[in-house]
Amino acid sequence: MAEKLLTQRNAWDRVLSSLKKRSLWMLHYCTGCGAIELPPTMTARYDMERFGIMPMVTPRQADILLITGYLSVKTLKRVILIYEQMQSPKYVVGFGSCTINGGMYWNSYSTIKSLDQYLPVELFLAGCMPRPEAIIAGFNALMDKIDQGKANSWEDYYKNYEFYRKNQQHAFGDIETHHDIPSDGAYFGILEADK
Amino acid sequence: MNKPTLDRANVLARPPAAVGKPRSAADLLSAMADELGIKTFFQKAPRRIEGTVAPELLHSFAANLRNRLGVEHLSAISCVDWIDQGQFELVYHFWSYRDSTLMSAKVRIDRATAQMDTITDLWQPASFFERDIHEMFGVYFRGNGDLEKYILSDWNGPPPMRKDFVSRDFAHEHFQFKTYDVPWDERIQGGYYGSRNGEEKKNG
Amino acid sequence: MDSLITANDGRDIMPGARALENREYNLFIGPNHPGIEGNFALKLTLEGDTIVKAKTEAGFLHRGFEKLMEERLFMQNIAIVARICVPDPDPNEENYARAVEAIAGIEVPRRAQFIRVLVLELSRMASHLFTFGGHGGTIGLYTMPNWTVSDRDRILDLFEELTGARVYHLYNIPGGVRRDLPQGFENRVKEVLFFIEDRLKEYDELFFNNRVLLERSVGVGVLPQDRALEWGATGANLRAAGFAYDVRKDDPYEVYGELEFEIPTATDSDCYSRLIVRRRELEQSIRIIRQILDKMPPGPVWNKQPNPLKWRVPAGDAYVRTESSKGEYAYYMVSDGGVRPYRVHVRGASVTHGVHILENMLRGARIEDASQIMFSLDACPPEVDR
Repeated sequence: MAEKLLTQRNAWDRVLSSLKKRSLWMLHYCTGCGAIELPPTMTARYDMERFGIMPMVTPRQADILLITGYLSVKTLKRVILIYEQMQSPKYVVGFGSCTINGGMYWNSYSTIKSLDQYLPVELFLAGCMPRPEAIIAGFNALMDKIDQGKANSWEDYYKNYEFYRKNQQHAFGDIETHHDIPSDGAYFGILEADK
Repeated sequence: MNKPTLDRANVLARPPAAVGKPRSAADLLSAMADELGIKTFFQKAPRRIEGTVAPELLHSFAANLRNRLGVEHLSAISCVDWIDQGQFELVYHFWSYRDSTLMSAKVRIDRATAQMDTITDLWQPASFFERDIHEMFGVYFRGNGDLEKYILSDWNGPPPMRKDFVSRDFAHEHFQFKTYDVPWDERIQGGYYGSRNGEEKKNG
Repeated sequence: MDSLITANDGRDIMPGARALENREYNLFIGPNHPGIEGNFALKLTLEGDTIVKAKTEAGFLHRGFEKLMEERLFMQNIAIVARICVPDPDPNEENYARAVEAIAGIEVPRRAQFIRVLVLELSRMASHLFTFGGHGGTIGLYTMPNWTVSDRDRILDLFEELTGARVYHLYNIPGGVRRDLPQGFENRVKEVLFFIEDRLKEYDELFFNNRVLLERSVGVGVLPQDRALEWGATGANLRAAGFAYDVRKDDPYEVYGELEFEIPTATDSDCYSRLIVRRRELEQSIRIIRQILDKMPPGPVWNKQPNPLKWRVPAGDAYVRTESSKGEYAYYMVSDGGVRPYRVHVRGASVTHGVHILENMLRGARIEDASQIMFSLDACPPEVDR
């Protein structure tokens, strides 16, 4: 099944990436207080849609999961369920300083401190909170990364699944996500891609 | 469609004492002393009256405030944890629209047993505050059937607002932070403004 | 037994099938949906299209603010206190500052009071513009959010010039405000006010007189007028039920006692009247800001407090109330004489609106109106969760 390694890039891959980067759909899930800067980015003044980025309501058809700000443990459970429902390739963008190292709520008992222990993160946007121009600059950086073929952090979830799962269980206990990540990784050849 | 004209005084279910001329703070204090028998209240600031009420008398006090004095709005119920004195202090804030005055009733209950009567049968907004205090402090309100976990529905620890729960320690134990091993000193010496050991180093 | 489905000639097509006895089903409207400015879940029990029972679920945005505020110094709390209400953060800062001033007995200079009212009214205007757009979003009129959120950005530009940040300002501190108005700021504020007044005429054509909005929101989500006070409604929800109560008039703070403005009311108490009450409040805010710019006195803007690391506020408590764009917003602060607050209790405006009033009003409503009812009550989930 793993005839073509995922790390090879030929001309068709380059065409695909330049098409992919122009129609990224963002899941419209506003998780924290950073969400107040998202309507200005999406509406007429800053207009994210000229880059092809649109809000989408269902995770099955979204490419970007934008974690806007802090995540309480209760929301993290839902975010993991949603993340596993998204189709690969998918990109997690950590928005704001709360996803980087806890931010302003570093001593809170109910928010998580570092997002990339629970999900593989493609890009972090620093700020509290980032301005709409910074969001658009971040998305442009993500589009460049996709164009160069380096935006492959979604594979990391399959490869290091035990690490992520252990951290998730430590945060909110054991839940049934209805997706069997290790066998999906084996079936699609993701686990053997760099062997 | 019928557009009923609304006259403030004619709305159903308003206690009759709620409409009328506004009373001054002194009138309210004397009304409280005469009609309700509570003499512990005093005026603290313009439009602010406060006093202490015994826990077993609070329910009848609240009912009399509403029915006899016409105080209609329960603004909040707050809880303060006086851990050194071994007591919880519940503060009930009532706002009278007629007199534009806030009446705060302070009730002290024992911290170890932490039980109190509910006032949700008089005021429906009280159920949110009582549920919140139950989750955050662990106080049980007798007669309130709605005391379930609302905000902290996945929480397994102790009631978090109590003073013996330190949030910073909990965060350090249960979550992992990133550790940074960036050699800050080298970066600053190289190309930034800074005075290290008394010398000024400029960019260049 | 009667057959469930019969053909035209009388045959029983599904012999042995029985109708289900239970006609109700559960629907879970999850944490993110167009009716709310945050994460707030509803567990509905429906029978067909009609909601039989509703139960709210909050806690997705819980950060433990009241605990965080107890572990920081008085001045440090200004940095986090604005984040409690995300669309309308200035009443939080102003309430916190006023509570500390009430306990410690600090006098605020008059110019600072005027500037505080200016910031509060601008924030109220920004929040109401956001609400108009969001209301349009819940019923599918998506042009309105595009217009109002972009126009609201002009007000955010003013905030950026004045305070340095667009959304969370950290501008009101105990003792006054942080810095004075920049030069020429009054003219820029007046330009924005003229712009928004002009746009209100266009909003009327597009939205407030829109046939679709009138069909969908008049008569929908009625808050019964005889239960409004009993259920604890405050703010625009109470005023749309006919009661002319407003914290700015009943319990005046800062310089509201010296300003002239009216309190708009309506009598129908449905979604449309709440929207119209907020639109009229926007006009009154413009009127207030113009009076402030005319009457602003010169003077200092901050009553300087001692070293924040060692500043001890004397023991005492205070309950301060303010009128945010959502309703009655109050802080109860207790100090025991230390460098940190002993207890800060935040009474958001939505603790009554978004929880029990919503559950009561959704009973008997239709499922397609659920989002609109939630949004028209202007419930803000971060205030409920803190």
